Amino acid sequence: MEHPASGPSALFERLMTLSLPDGGMPYQRGNSSAAEPTLLAALALFASGVPPDRAKPLLAWVQNIQNPDGSVGVDPTHRDQGLWLTALVVIAFHHYGLKENLAQARAFLLSLRSVTFPKDPRLKQDNTLTGWPWVPGTFGWVEPTAWSLIALGVSGLREHPRAEEGARFLLDRQISSGGWNYGNPALDDKELLPFWDTTGLALLALHAYADPKRIKNGLDLMEKEQEKIGSLSGLSWAVLGLSSYGRDSGRLKTRLGEVMRSVPDAEFHAGNFALGLVALSGKKVFVP
Amino acid sequence: MNRRQFLKDSAALANCAALADVARGVPAAPCPVTLLPMPDYGRDLSKEIAAVMSADGLRLKGKKVLLKPNFVEAHPERPINTHVAVIASAALACLRLGAAEVVVGEASGHRRDPWFSVLNPSLRDVLDREVRRIDLNHGDVVSITNKGRRTGLPVFYVARPVAEADVLISMPKMKTHHWMGVTLCLKNLFGVLPGIYYGWPKNLLHFKGIDNSILDLVGTIKVHYNIVDGVTGMEGDGPIMGKARTVGALVLSPFSLAADATAARLMGFDPRKISYLAQAGRFLPGLRAEDLVLRGEKPARFAAKFDCPDDFKEMRGGPFF
Repeated sequence: MEHPASGPSALFERLMTLSLPDGGMPYQRGNSSAAEPTLLAALALFASGVPPDRAKPLLAWVQNIQNPDGSVGVDPTHRDQGLWLTALVVIAFHHYGLKENLAQARAFLLSLRSVTFPKDPRLKQDNTLTGWPWVPGTFGWVEPTAWSLIALGVSGLREHPRAEEGARFLLDRQISSGGWNYGNPALDDKELLPFWDTTGLALLALHAYADPKRIKNGLDLMEKEQEKIGSLSGLSWAVLGLSSYGRDSGRLKTRLGEVMRSVPDAEFHAGNFALGLVALSGKKVFVP
Repeated sequence: MNRRQFLKDSAALANCAALADVARGVPAAPCPVTLLPMPDYGRDLSKEIAAVMSADGLRLKGKKVLLKPNFVEAHPERPINTHVAVIASAALACLRLGAAEVVVGEASGHRRDPWFSVLNPSLRDVLDREVRRIDLNHGDVVSITNKGRRTGLPVFYVARPVAEADVLISMPKMKTHHWMGVTLCLKNLFGVLPGIYYGWPKNLLHFKGIDNSILDLVGTIKVHYNIVDGVTGMEGDGPIMGKARTVGALVLSPFSLAADATAARLMGFDPRKISYLAQAGRFLPGLRAEDLVLRGEKPARFAAKFDCPDDFKEMRGGPFF
């Protein structure tokens, strides 16, 4: 079903219809405001080039739930959960020049570490490397590590030792034949299968760090298999990942726009939709 | 701890648990389990499923029902997820029985993108238009006190649609699992916990012990009915990298452990030798064969010997039927 919204500004306004009176944005209509869609909506506003005042309610909502240690959790009633989201906070606060909040958030992000383990010859990954976890006190995974790497990169800490180790972590978790999944490239000698979203995200995160030869497999895979990508999230990450290396993402962008125009209300995911707007904008939001 | 050691300890635990079960004398409960033939996915079994659920005493008139399938990753050539045809049949069965609302919800364990789970067009295309699909990985939660004591987690953050449903129906795929032996109804409960809180995968639950986490969830979340998709299961290196294995049946029961124990036996495993099932048998009915009332087709018709990693060979048993 084609939604009436069609042009970029109409897509943008469709997203903003989900804004709630408290200033935040929910994942789906009927839910309460949550940090991730609120932050991604703020970044979509930034990418769209609309006056920064329009983002003020979103940013204020996030500032209000920032913990004294600088972290931000899932929502106002679960401030101690989902603290990996602080990486997105760093990116948003950097772009909007909220220096004090940014410094606190970044300090927390640097203190958040994944658990490490000695090398196990049976596993095809180096568990001695420190990345970022979903939950404090657990292993590191591709997505929170990639977001943290992007956050440190855009906010001026590209050469921080945590960022450099994070980049090594991501390279280590790359599947030999190309791409990334959630973070296990192989199990018991069997190579696991890549995902589009984490592949695009990891490529983007490694933009400022990796020797292009080390990630060529991933770029080639995504470029070659792009016709198979059908989801809003997958298309967005493919556009962001490929275009950050100067690869052609024109056809992907066209399809992303089509998908965004036709997504039914029942399947509307504000976080993914905001990400799509960032991808369509072509603006450098996630790279320094 | 490597997998071999983990399994060795689990097997010892399982044996202890089974003995404890006998010693403590969990009251025998007649647990109905029905085997419904479904040779392939090209048919609508909604009438038959409705009849079995009704005979099992499941009353849905005016109720909000949440169907909880198992979506992990989507690779079309692999039987990883509960098949959409089974979900569609179950949803229609619930509507036939007068449910006021039927939703399909899942917090996929590996894929964050809901297009690869309940929002996939393949599911949308086969479901009745009245049936909504909800991505449980993102959205509001309800904090529910953990009634178990194994993980030490004080609460579980449960997706609100699960907490607000009158009736929760667990719909796993019949698969081997390279850490747990099998993954069925009990393990399927991981998918009521949003990834935005627990991650992809839900690594916190792994850190607390997968078996501990399953058992705490089982003691905390009320499941009203269970339908195992055993039409085509997965053997070998499940739950992702294994091979298809046709069994040709759905396993239905109001009792999660009874459904799991029966499915495990159909797969050629002795459920008393699978650690978390044996431990669940200490507080849930349905582990022991004598507790079951098997209905429908004769189980021998579907009995298989699922291939499994070497580490799990000692969990084999039978013939059971």
